[in-house]
Amino acid sequence: MFIAMMFWVGVMVFSVVLNTFLCYKVEKSGVKRWGATGRIFKYK
Amino acid sequence: MVWYVAVFAFYIVFLIWANLKSLKAAESIDDFAIGGHRLGLLMSIGTTTATWVSVASVIGIPGYLYSTGVATIIGWVAGWAFGGALLPLVAYKVRRPKVPARTFPEFVRFRFEPFKKKSSLQALVGILMFIGYLLLVNIQVTGFGIVFSTITGIKYEFAIFGFLLFILLTSLGGFWSVAATDTLNTLLITIGVILAAGVVLVLTGGMTNILDTLATTTAPTIVGGPELEKGILLSPVGSFGLGALFSIFISNSLGTPSSPHWVARMVAPKNIKIAILQIMGTIFLLIFIMGPLIIVGLGAKVLIPSLPVGKTTDYIVPLLIQEYMHPFIGAVILIAICAAAISTANSMLLHCATSLYYDVYLNISSKKVSDKGFRNWLRLSIFGIAIVAVLLAIKPPWFIAMGFTYVYGGFGAAFFLVVFFGLYWKRMNKAGAYTGILVGSVVYIIAKAMEATNPFVVAVTASLIGVLIAVFTTKKPPIEAYEPYFNAEVSKSTEELYAKIRD
Repeated sequence: MFIAMMFWVGVMVFSVVLNTFLCYKVEKSGVKRWGATGRIFKYK
Repeated sequence: MVWYVAVFAFYIVFLIWANLKSLKAAESIDDFAIGGHRLGLLMSIGTTTATWVSVASVIGIPGYLYSTGVATIIGWVAGWAFGGALLPLVAYKVRRPKVPARTFPEFVRFRFEPFKKKSSLQALVGILMFIGYLLLVNIQVTGFGIVFSTITGIKYEFAIFGFLLFILLTSLGGFWSVAATDTLNTLLITIGVILAAGVVLVLTGGMTNILDTLATTTAPTIVGGPELEKGILLSPVGSFGLGALFSIFISNSLGTPSSPHWVARMVAPKNIKIAILQIMGTIFLLIFIMGPLIIVGLGAKVLIPSLPVGKTTDYIVPLLIQEYMHPFIGAVILIAICAAAISTANSMLLHCATSLYYDVYLNISSKKVSDKGFRNWLRLSIFGIAIVAVLLAIKPPWFIAMGFTYVYGGFGAAFFLVVFFGLYWKRMNKAGAYTGILVGSVVYIIAKAMEATNPFVVAVTASLIGVLIAVFTTKKPPIEAYEPYFNAEVSKSTEELYAKIRD
């Protein structure tokens, strides 16, 4: 049970890390049309 | 019965209200097909979660947990979550163009055949999508029919035709209608499954008791069947074996980010960042849906050690409701299941009809159509396809969760390389796309028929070899094909081409 649950938790952590990285890339691009706002998790 | 009627009446009133409101929002072709590419974050999370949580989740997952134990968490729950976690990689690229594609087949056309007036690639993808989504809608109808008829005693055949009204009600307003009703459905699903898990925890005496029972039980899944190996339900690989579980995990995960409806969903939000954040929000929200479903599936083994003869594991949730829950709670959970089935079916129905009408018919006939004409013909297609899906559900063909895996695996095998190479490799060209789709789908079907351990991996490997040969033995793609997915600003020729396509 523990291993199975940790597998799921691991996937969720991976998702957060990947999403944060991609949001960072959008910010770094500076393209407003893509959603760049100046802050990683801020959106318009 | 009174409880069921009262709760359902309230639900229907809401659906009608949401649909009427959404009809006003859907004016153009873009609005109707994909929400005008202007969905905000909250509605994006709502509709994504509701589409994610299907009957396969609400009925199939507890069913598999009941029969094979915690291995289901790795194969399905984590498998789907991993596939979802990869979706932002698609969103990051596919939402870049100033003129995003309206549908998945149109994206394939833009990327590989931008100069063709009649795109046979778009039509091919449209046909494959139509077949796959027809089966998936059919699975939702079947799942709903099983639950509804078991709980209420209404005949299965009547239940599935009742479901037809629900999906039509939520689909005919187009994407805005689907998104609006989905957002409420997410709330209902969450409340329903949390309530169900609460009841199961109270009845079983808590999680410790459930785990103690699972560690020792040998009760067969179905009365008279083979006894389970002691402790197998708590084994991470369960009775699947490592190879089969890996295969299920891969099919469920890698099939997801290349499934046409998910790729299309990534172009619905206002911009790339919202498309990415919608997945983050959805994966968080799913903790409150999948967590309770895990409790329900495992707890069911304590309450109902073996299923009666003639019932499959898909019946475990209906049996729990019938035998252990107060009618009001039963009605709320039934609404949650109904919401899960509707929210997935309506979205897939919309994609199914759009692929047939927009990507096959309009593309091949090269007809110009007004916004109003588009809406009306698409509604007619939705109506016709929904009827076919319900008629096919009169004799349900397979186990619900497994059916999902077959179609998702097939989509993954056909489209995985087309999507990821198309978005991340400039050299990927038309010949590669044709080869990838044809080799991937044909090899997947053959591998399935030959009962290969991992048909998805076999198909994608064969497809990869074919794609590499095709790409390196044919011409490079034109700049207009890949430029919008790699650069923020595109050349004049690309801009003119897109303007011409949309004209």
